Amino acid sequence: MGANRAGLISERGIQRSLLIVTGISAVAILFMLALLVYFCLPLITSDGMSAVLSWEWKPFSGHFGILPMCLVSLLLSVFALGLAFPAAIGICGFVTVLAPRGLARFFLILIHFMTSIPTVIYGFVSVFLLVPLVRDRLGIGTGFSFLTAGLTLSLLILPTIVLIFHARLQQIAPSLRLTAEAMGLTPARQFLHVLIPASSRGLIVAAVMGFGRAVGDTLISLMVAGNAPQIPSSLFDSVRTLTAHVALVVATDSQSLSYRSIFASGLILFLLMGGANFLIRRLDDGIGKDRHEEEP
Amino acid sequence: MKKNLDFLMTGYARLCAVAVFLATSLLLGFLIKRGLSSVDLKLFFGDTHWLSAITGTQPVFEGIWPAVVGTLFLVLLSSAISIPTGVASGVYLSEYASGRVRSFLGFAVDVLSGTPSIVMGLFGFTMILFLRNTLLPQARPSLFLAAVCIALLILPYVIRTTQTALEAIPEHLRLLGPSLGLSHWHNIRYLLVPLAGRGILSGVILAIGRAAEDTAVILLTGVVARAGLPASLWDKFEALPFRIYYLAAEHRSQAELDQGFGAALVLLLLTGFLFLAAFFLHAKFEKRWKTH
Amino acid sequence: MGILRKRMNVVAVLSVFFLLGWFRSAALCGALDGFAGLEGTIGIAGGTAHIPVMNDAAKAIMTFNPKIRITVEGGGSGVGVQKVGEGLVDIGNTGRAVSQEEIAKYGLKSFPFALDGVAVAVHPDNPVDNLSQQQVRDIFAGSITNWKDVGGKDGSIHLFCRDEASGTREVFWEKLLKKGPVAGTANIVSSNGAMKMAISRDKDAVGYVGIGHVDQSLKAVKIESVAATQENASNGSYPVVRKLYMNTKGEPARLTKAFIDYILGPEGSEIIRRHGYIPLE
Repeated sequence: MGANRAGLISERGIQRSLLIVTGISAVAILFMLALLVYFCLPLITSDGMSAVLSWEWKPFSGHFGILPMCLVSLLLSVFALGLAFPAAIGICGFVTVLAPRGLARFFLILIHFMTSIPTVIYGFVSVFLLVPLVRDRLGIGTGFSFLTAGLTLSLLILPTIVLIFHARLQQIAPSLRLTAEAMGLTPARQFLHVLIPASSRGLIVAAVMGFGRAVGDTLISLMVAGNAPQIPSSLFDSVRTLTAHVALVVATDSQSLSYRSIFASGLILFLLMGGANFLIRRLDDGIGKDRHEEEP
Repeated sequence: MKKNLDFLMTGYARLCAVAVFLATSLLLGFLIKRGLSSVDLKLFFGDTHWLSAITGTQPVFEGIWPAVVGTLFLVLLSSAISIPTGVASGVYLSEYASGRVRSFLGFAVDVLSGTPSIVMGLFGFTMILFLRNTLLPQARPSLFLAAVCIALLILPYVIRTTQTALEAIPEHLRLLGPSLGLSHWHNIRYLLVPLAGRGILSGVILAIGRAAEDTAVILLTGVVARAGLPASLWDKFEALPFRIYYLAAEHRSQAELDQGFGAALVLLLLTGFLFLAAFFLHAKFEKRWKTH
Repeated sequence: MGILRKRMNVVAVLSVFFLLGWFRSAALCGALDGFAGLEGTIGIAGGTAHIPVMNDAAKAIMTFNPKIRITVEGGGSGVGVQKVGEGLVDIGNTGRAVSQEEIAKYGLKSFPFALDGVAVAVHPDNPVDNLSQQQVRDIFAGSITNWKDVGGKDGSIHLFCRDEASGTREVFWEKLLKKGPVAGTANIVSSNGAMKMAISRDKDAVGYVGIGHVDQSLKAVKIESVAATQENASNGSYPVVRKLYMNTKGEPARLTKAFIDYILGPEGSEIIRRHGYIPLE
């Protein structure tokens, strides 16, 4: 009996220490938010916030607006998503339903492998392969453009979208496919008319995750988007994302207000991703949480 | 009409698959073609003899060895910080946490996992500023800071995979421990964690891969283009992904460009190897549960 | 008697060789001797034009004395000032003179060591050879957008500019652009090396770069028929010239001073010349 009680005490102790360790994540998040806000405070108090939330970035004429960069981040990510999402659906269809098992397995491994390719490698190859292509073959612009960054980014986020959606499909496909097959639907139609609608939530989650990944990426736009702080008027314009802006200005900070703008940028990015995560959580609730009670 | 839809859908799916395959092959092929010839001792050690370079007696100037070692240190340090923490957290979230706590902490982990790496780097940078203004005026960007930030970056991976691996253990195996009289903790420690071991390990390896390839965080926390071998935890350092980025942005000669391709290939091989290890572990892990 | 003379001759000849050898090695070792017995780290950051010189000096010093560790980073002149001012590095390089505010704020001490002009650079295949100052201003302001308007082939001008921290940018903007407007559509690169790379790969590109960085992969355009060479920059006929400075916060420490002396000494001058700059006497 005594041994049991001792066991119970250390049990509590273990639970408590694990809780503390887990709490580190929560503490880190709060700390991060607090630091960002702390460094943004001088902006808010000195009315610099309105200066920073404006449309021109020309630090030597006194303009510190980061809104062009915010816009570009959003536009670029939407563009990349627009390319990657349809392709991801196609690939999921291919892998889940339409391809022979061996080929499907191969492609799944390929997609998995793509997630392990470092971002800097995507950027590196893009600089030496895609940029000359856009510049010389398409003949427009310097090659460092919205288009180049968008294409590379879409390749980067494609595996993320595929894997998330595929995971969801794998959960629901076996039972649904059987029913659909029994009703006489071909695999293609099973996919189109049954699987996709049934996993619409998974689709949205995958899209949001892909979008988040695109917004959060720094290296690709830093290396191939050209970094001009302007609102683009064509696909071939040189652009700068919020993430690249932080990297550029920190590496080159020389004035007070331009320096502060990176904290505002960081805060915006942080809040944006936090919001996306919150959205995913709300959507994801009920999907794939408790694996134990899957097949009835 | 009906047949057309089938045809279109299948055709489209095939097209997407082929396109992705082509894009990836193009990427890999280009890298291998341009980089393979550069991968030799000179790539790593420049003009210095490899033995004196490895033992550290002679500095390496034109090789990527310091960057490789820097990345190695970074990975080791950040893993040492994040793996025990992550596994413990995953265990807690899966086995101990009540609904509300789990929801709240799970949300924190999710937000952490969604944080862009540049914001994580910014966090590290602001930490240094904060410390310099308050507690520690000599604080400077360093290997240690970068490792801590990367640890925070990869922590969610470890937590999530541990949690998922534990939750995947079938019910009847979970009941085994308690039915034998084991306490909750003993059950976890001696049964569940080893059972989930492969899954956890594959997550750990993925996290290590992520730590090795990260560039944005180290950009703001102390990586430089030339620093030699890392002399201490509190000093600037070199790293492989940054070296690749730097060479892409400003190589001064064809030789340096070749070095860039060689370095890119080395990094790809490193992450590719880690990926394979994780993948096979995970595949074996899944197989285990499917046969039960 | 004969044997003694022979021996003395041999000794004399050997002594001469010995003395010659000793003098030679002394002349070579002289500059690096300042580092004998020292150890520690020197952190260098800032101007990107300085990097080739700093790297070579670091290599020579670290090979001579492996106990010394020298780290070199870029970032531009603005970063150099900030980092040395904040005590994050020992030497902050700038490609422009430090301003009075900067000296007052950080207590900086400047050591100019080389002269470098800033050239307007284009791709070697670009037929444009000579531009007037006004043409340069118009190109960078974005009012001239096609090469054929300045005597080149038909093709849109691809503009490349430097980031905000760049001393090269500041000197170019002040002395050639006369503080005029710069087009917001220009691609931004973060160092002399990156500018050089961007221009050498793009037939329609134009940008500005330190003359020390110009080689066969670039073409430096003549400004009003004055060639962009270091000689013209130093004698004043070429309008855009700046000094390269090393800056420290207050008086430099012993190891740092040794490094600065090395750069300012004969071996340093040789390295400076090798990289296309003109050492200051």
